[in-house]
Amino acid sequence: MKKLRIAGLMLLCLLVVSQLFAAGAQEAVATEEVPKGPISVYSIMPEKYATKIFAAFTADTGIKVNFVRLSSGEALARLIAEKNNPQVDALWGGPADTYEAGIKEGIFEVYVPKQADKVPANFRSKDGYWTGIGIIPLTFLSNAKFLKEKGLNPPTSWNDLLNPAYKGTLQMADARTSGTATERIYSLVKIFGEDGAFAYQKQLHQNIQLYTKGGAGGAMPIATGQAASGVFYIVDALDIQQQGYDLVISYPVEGVTYGVEASGIIKGTKNLAAAKVLMDWASSSRLGEVMVAEMINYIPTRPDVKVTNPALDMSKVKLIEADTAWKGEKRAAYVQRFIDDVIQQ
Amino acid sequence: MSDFTKKKTERTLMIKKDPVLFSVLVAVWLSFAIFIFLPLVKLLLVTFFVDGKLSFANLSNILGRPYNVRALYGSLILATAVSFAGTFLGYMFALAVTRTSLPKPLKWLLSAVTILPLISPPFTSSISLTLALGPNGMLLKAFGIENLNIYGFLGTWISETLTYFPVAFMVITAILSTMTANLDDAALSLGASTRRMFRTITIPLSYPGIGNSFLLLFGASLADFATPLILGGHTFPVLPTEAYLLITGMFDIKGGSTLSFLLLVPALVVFLIQRALIGKKSYVSVTGKNGARSDFARLPKELSVIITIVCTFVVALILYLYFIILWGSLVKVWSVNNSFTLDHYRYVFAHGKKAITDTLTIALYSTVLGSLLAVVIGYVSQRKKFFGQRFFEFSSMLNYALPGTVVGIAYIIAFNERPILLTGTMSILVAAYVFRYYATGIRSVIASLQQIDPALEEASLSLGAGSVRTFTHVTIPLIIPAVLAGMRYIFIHCMTAISATIFLVSVRWTLLTTRILESMTELQFSQASAFSIVLIIIVFAADALMLFLLRLSTSKFNRPQETSYAIVSA
Amino acid sequence: MPSSALELRNVSKVFKKDRDEVRAVDSVNLTVEQGEMVTFLGPSGCGKTTTLRMIAGFELPTGGTITIQGRDMTNTPVNKREIGFVFQNYALFPHMTVFNNVAYGLKSRGEKDAAIKPKVLAALALVGLKNTENRYPSQLSGGEQQRVALARVIVMEPTLLLMDEPLSNLDAKLRIHMRTEIRRIQKKLGITCLYVTHDQAEALTMADRIVVMNKGKVEQVGSPFEIYSNPQSLFVADFIGQANIIKLTVEAVVGNDIRALLPGGRTFTARGLRPEGKGADIYKVGGKAALIARPESLTVLSADDPNGNAPATVVSEVFVGSHIEYEVELEDHSVLKAFTPFQAGMRVFGEDEKVSIWIDPSNVLFLPESST
Repeated sequence: MKKLRIAGLMLLCLLVVSQLFAAGAQEAVATEEVPKGPISVYSIMPEKYATKIFAAFTADTGIKVNFVRLSSGEALARLIAEKNNPQVDALWGGPADTYEAGIKEGIFEVYVPKQADKVPANFRSKDGYWTGIGIIPLTFLSNAKFLKEKGLNPPTSWNDLLNPAYKGTLQMADARTSGTATERIYSLVKIFGEDGAFAYQKQLHQNIQLYTKGGAGGAMPIATGQAASGVFYIVDALDIQQQGYDLVISYPVEGVTYGVEASGIIKGTKNLAAAKVLMDWASSSRLGEVMVAEMINYIPTRPDVKVTNPALDMSKVKLIEADTAWKGEKRAAYVQRFIDDVIQQ
Repeated sequence: MSDFTKKKTERTLMIKKDPVLFSVLVAVWLSFAIFIFLPLVKLLLVTFFVDGKLSFANLSNILGRPYNVRALYGSLILATAVSFAGTFLGYMFALAVTRTSLPKPLKWLLSAVTILPLISPPFTSSISLTLALGPNGMLLKAFGIENLNIYGFLGTWISETLTYFPVAFMVITAILSTMTANLDDAALSLGASTRRMFRTITIPLSYPGIGNSFLLLFGASLADFATPLILGGHTFPVLPTEAYLLITGMFDIKGGSTLSFLLLVPALVVFLIQRALIGKKSYVSVTGKNGARSDFARLPKELSVIITIVCTFVVALILYLYFIILWGSLVKVWSVNNSFTLDHYRYVFAHGKKAITDTLTIALYSTVLGSLLAVVIGYVSQRKKFFGQRFFEFSSMLNYALPGTVVGIAYIIAFNERPILLTGTMSILVAAYVFRYYATGIRSVIASLQQIDPALEEASLSLGAGSVRTFTHVTIPLIIPAVLAGMRYIFIHCMTAISATIFLVSVRWTLLTTRILESMTELQFSQASAFSIVLIIIVFAADALMLFLLRLSTSKFNRPQETSYAIVSA
Repeated sequence: MPSSALELRNVSKVFKKDRDEVRAVDSVNLTVEQGEMVTFLGPSGCGKTTTLRMIAGFELPTGGTITIQGRDMTNTPVNKREIGFVFQNYALFPHMTVFNNVAYGLKSRGEKDAAIKPKVLAALALVGLKNTENRYPSQLSGGEQQRVALARVIVMEPTLLLMDEPLSNLDAKLRIHMRTEIRRIQKKLGITCLYVTHDQAEALTMADRIVVMNKGKVEQVGSPFEIYSNPQSLFVADFIGQANIIKLTVEAVVGNDIRALLPGGRTFTARGLRPEGKGADIYKVGGKAALIARPESLTVLSADDPNGNAPATVVSEVFVGSHIEYEVELEDHSVLKAFTPFQAGMRVFGEDEKVSIWIDPSNVLFLPESST
């Protein structure tokens, strides 16, 4: 009947939409039960590194990797939301404390890779939920021109950053969004004690121009001279320096904690066999060799892989040990205190 | 008769009297139930149910923290400031295009430039804004200004105003160009000065446009998390950003959804105010009667001067900001090695091809479905009377009023389980876009219908045409410009949105905007710029196509209107 | 028995406005015969347009039935009623050519293109618009647009032609011309036509019958002559044409005649009208009655003329060619209009002159005082 044409149109729309669902559902089923088939990965590791690393992995094993890059918070939020219907097989990169938080939510599968014993015990999960793929200590990154203009030496102590010469020129990450920022707090707590650490940050706040959302967010402004200095993971600091900007990397004498970049298999994966292959490959010396060769600035978790970049030579840097479980436990409280004591003042 | 039975007879009558309307309503309500209410209800369950019991623990927890209360105020102040400034700029530009004697190429330039902020993700212009006006910024240096703190309210306000005023411009231009110039003549002939005419005729008649623009801008600003994320700094928290930070940074879905629940209240208030102000008055100016047309009267002189100054300044600023992005995409290393290279574009096409095709596919599906729904919903809510109409209109706008972050999370919670298993599919992205951004289409259709005399539709009915034929042969051709304007906006939104979809992209379906944000966070400023430029070119091309369609649809009748419609879409 | 073209039975429309109920149309009854031209006349807001829109089907009645050609159409959608509606603002589709505007209804009906074309051209020819079919409405003058609107409707050969103040947007000369045009076409096609207007000249010149409405109710239905000469209520008398309404005290009721006392002391006898449904004792001796006298029924005489009914004073005097329009004041200070036909050599009275008034008893009547 002519009259019903609009209704028909509407039904058609609904049909089209439902077709889309159907197509989507089929897609979801399509990747099932293929032992060597492509695997899907959320990568917290930056895309430019992940692309190169997965290319090498595919070359070595023949397993293709589809990945999407997410921040650690998003990745975790998503994995929790998708718990009943996992969309990916593995999580790649990102700080180990993210993994510790995920273990509590039950999103990870236990798997101890074949060569796990070659990875030092503090670089992997006690229970086999995650395995470290790289070490990244914190470092200071400063704009060389700024230092010269102000007649400053590169900061070599946390207290150097309190110098009023830096007023309104520091950019570093916001603890609410960035693992780099929480790492910074862990370092400070280890050095100054908890109250001392927050007292320090309150003071440091006078010199802050901006708390960036991403850990590396301040690096470009420092490179272009918009900001003077900041605290970063070495991987981000080296990366921007290697692009050709005139930057100085320095370490504080009090020492720094370091992050462990991890990887793990998602519970309920449909490609368990292939995901295990990725974990095995990640704990072999191959991964470290690829990172060194591609100038991906993580310190390999395998001590038997030799780094060539002197900035990654940790022999003269005071590294502070911080237990991953402790970090995971304290994180929320520290972030809240960061909001209440530091940001809100 | 009891209330209940009364309603029942009304409803049975409706099936009998207007079966088409009835089936349309059933279909639309069904889609609302699935794509608007289900996610929201699931989200509210997460927010208000703790261990299976109704609890306000989450709410009191969140409101107990002064920083969050500051964020609530921040959101309201920002949204108000952005809607005022954006509507003002939009009105200035709309007047420049419809009521001044500027040469045509200049008008085209004005329209073209306003599109730039619309078709690029907000954070792109935020970045170039920090390069220009941030610490050590190029513009600040050039003008010798020191100590301007862009981070906080100021930067966020400027950036959001620049980003959203084109919405105001589009909506208001559409209204201004459908007014009859006869009214100007009438006012002038009644002895009004041009100034008085402008105040008493032009402005009151554009109230629907101003109202819509205000509502759209308020909603957009209220929901925007990306701009404050980059420019807000820690001194100026706003709710959607805090919600996003809670969810992505602290894995606190409960806290995040509770925060964004607070956003519903102001969004609701503005919506109701707008309805109360504009809803009752009728502004019929497209009637079936076509008198002699004349040109619109000139604007008062001092107003023309102000318009020229404002538009020139804004156009220059926008061009400058986008020049930075273009420049960044074409040099080897930003501000260090300024030699020309196409490497970044090679990178985009090598590594971003999938993102480009995915984005286009999703945007096309969403635009078509969204505008179809928008026409249907806009039409029934403007022209038909039925039970629950107000609630119907309100529901249709709900996803748009909600911050995208919340819609994204709600969709993930709602559609991750059977029977409606959508996570990781294209459908979830399309659904999110359709039920969020069709709002623009609906508003555009309603604004257009408000100006079309219902007698035209009655004439069609009295000539024996059914309601369907009337709709397709009379209403649709008359509102086509509005529909196309809505389509443009839906498409642009789909190409540039980030807040909802950042949670919905998957390994299989990824988007250009998320790639740009990624590149930004990975310090690949050049690649991000190249991605942005590619995105801008795609949207420009699609826009040109729609302009062509628009020309086809309006070229034969109402010739004086042709140019103005063409300008809206230029 | 052939059914009438249109029957309204107790048709009412109640609007809700801010919780108040407004009876826009109150129990209207009307029968219209085939081929009749009926105008609805009344002040704005009297419910005439609402009645027309209910007949068209744009509005549904709150109560009552609407029967078109014997079929109950009360709740039938407008597009199934086979009516033609001409709008005050014409409502031409601005995006269609004249041809497509006129062809629109035929196409909706599903007629073949080949059949449509001659009909459209014939309709356009009938309204005097040859060779305009490729133009757009915006390229036509107001009068031409009006003709297109008419052609668009008559091409459908509707059972009922409904027109809502179709001429109110035209200039006066064109309006008078279009009156006769519309009447000519209506008669030629033998089409039943309902025509809403607030212009009494339009109603009087065009209609077979006039429906006078006031405040949602029908005041009187009748031929223009009946309405003019035998108004059933003070409202009708006052609304149609010009009428002097003189409130008098009844002296005697003799059969149908009423004898009343005029200002100045004389008595005057004329027919007393008893509106339908009112009791026979509507006129009471000693009570008031309203004398309805058209200005043509009053003649101004010299003060001492024995035929004069009442003494008066001239307030103003205007010569308009065919007659002289006087305003005179009676002794009770009521002011009356009197139009005296002009004859060469007749005496013309000036302002402030004492005169007497002769009322033609065969052309005036009494109405109950309360029949407003």
